[in-house]
Amino acid sequence: MPLLEVADLKVSYGKALAIESVSIRVEKGELIGVLGPNGAGKTTLLKAISRSIASQGTLNFKDASLHPIEPYNVVAKGICHCPEGRKLFSELSVLKNLQLGAYLRKNNADVEKDLERVFTLFPVLRERQWQQSSTLSGGEQQMVAIGRALMGRPELLLLDEPSVGIAPRLKGLIFDSIQQIRRDGTAILIVEQDATSTLRIADRVYVLEHGRTIREGTSAEIAGDKYIQQIYLGV
Amino acid sequence: MLQILIYGAVSSAIYAMLAVGFTLIFGVARILNLAHGSFYALGAYAAYVLTSLLGVPLFIAAPLAVLIVAGFGVVMERFLVRPLRSSQLAVLMITLAVSLAVEQALFITFGSEYRNVPSFVADKLSIGGVDISGQRLLALVAGVLVLLGLWLFIQRTRLGAAILAVSQDPEAAQYMGIPTNRIFSIVMAISAGTAALAGVLVSPFLTVQPTMGLLPMVKAFAIVIVGGLGSIPGSIIASLILGYSETIVAYLISTSWTELVSLVAVVVTLMIRPSGLLGRRAAF
Repeated sequence: MPLLEVADLKVSYGKALAIESVSIRVEKGELIGVLGPNGAGKTTLLKAISRSIASQGTLNFKDASLHPIEPYNVVAKGICHCPEGRKLFSELSVLKNLQLGAYLRKNNADVEKDLERVFTLFPVLRERQWQQSSTLSGGEQQMVAIGRALMGRPELLLLDEPSVGIAPRLKGLIFDSIQQIRRDGTAILIVEQDATSTLRIADRVYVLEHGRTIREGTSAEIAGDKYIQQIYLGV
Repeated sequence: MLQILIYGAVSSAIYAMLAVGFTLIFGVARILNLAHGSFYALGAYAAYVLTSLLGVPLFIAAPLAVLIVAGFGVVMERFLVRPLRSSQLAVLMITLAVSLAVEQALFITFGSEYRNVPSFVADKLSIGGVDISGQRLLALVAGVLVLLGLWLFIQRTRLGAAILAVSQDPEAAQYMGIPTNRIFSIVMAISAGTAALAGVLVSPFLTVQPTMGLLPMVKAFAIVIVGGLGSIPGSIIASLILGYSETIVAYLISTSWTELVSLVAVVVTLMIRPSGLLGRRAAF
């Protein structure tokens, strides 16, 4: 049974159809990439999965439909969403941001352990834990956003364009950390515009255009596709 | 001099209790609640009904009155404000409608005559030669304790952190598993409850009558504009400024000039610093 199964998903904003028909599947522990240009429906797809917008079609997590789940209950099911633009609680400290990621968890010892895990993954956050999160650089803020989502201890982590607005030096670091998170056993669905980096780390990749899935395959297959090479990789 | 210091502190504490709740519900839920003064009036009337009509002992009546009004606030938010939340203007109009409805309901039920609520503390105290009623002093102490308690609640508890999170980014808060609607209800209860407490505390020494909510509403609005809409520290500082300026004006010039202070403060603030002392953005 797949961890996440999305089939023939539709999302519309008023009359505008943002997603016409998208089908994707994430198995336990997989790292799946979703590529596509601006406006292809990538962010909308993640928002539909975390139930912050309404959608139609199959949307199953561990064989149970997500449709009847209230948005704030999605975390409890095991899905954590690291949103586009990071959306940190900018006036709160780094530590408080991370602690809020563990809002639903009652076991303090476990939360401490996960905090330690985040600090190991991103050592710079340990030094900056008392700093107001808005004073951090873009890359560091992205680390807080990823760390905050990890604090919910997800089985499936949704990452929305983690590489946007980040210095090239930190970008590699962010992608390395994403691989590390996967090695620790968390399935990841990452939405990106940076095709090269995504193809480097993902097991399988879906390509979205105009709200439809136009390609799917292993990273190697997609990287070898003529159309993808021309449009996305600029080969 | 000492008299100004003490009386100014009492006014400031009452204003702060009113303004903090008003700014809190705006900061968290973006509700500009024009019915905030109604909570204050309802608090005073609830205390009047419970003590004078039903003979409930004061120290039970006071918290009961606060709870009743907090419940009223929650119901108002849930059934009248929430369905309209997508439009700020609609929220403004519905809360204005509630405040008018409350005022009329009080008129019809109790008439326009002044009602009396017995004092919690009958004794007068003398501090450094200044006589002050125990009731005013109680309002001051209660105000300081409530604000301190609220600050600790928001800064130190898990629920407080959730309130801060929702005020800064409701969407991100939802991604953390924070039920934003429930947070709105809780904050509304706190907001209505603190306003009601202010009404209960002043009811023995101010007049209890149906329109009593209007002036505090104007003051709360003025304080929040001066302090910065959505900023709790800002509203406390502005409460102190306004409370003391009014007291000083009352002593040096005349009490009939005091109502002008808040209006001047609003005009000056909007001209010089539209976002208020500690506000993040222009309120209007």
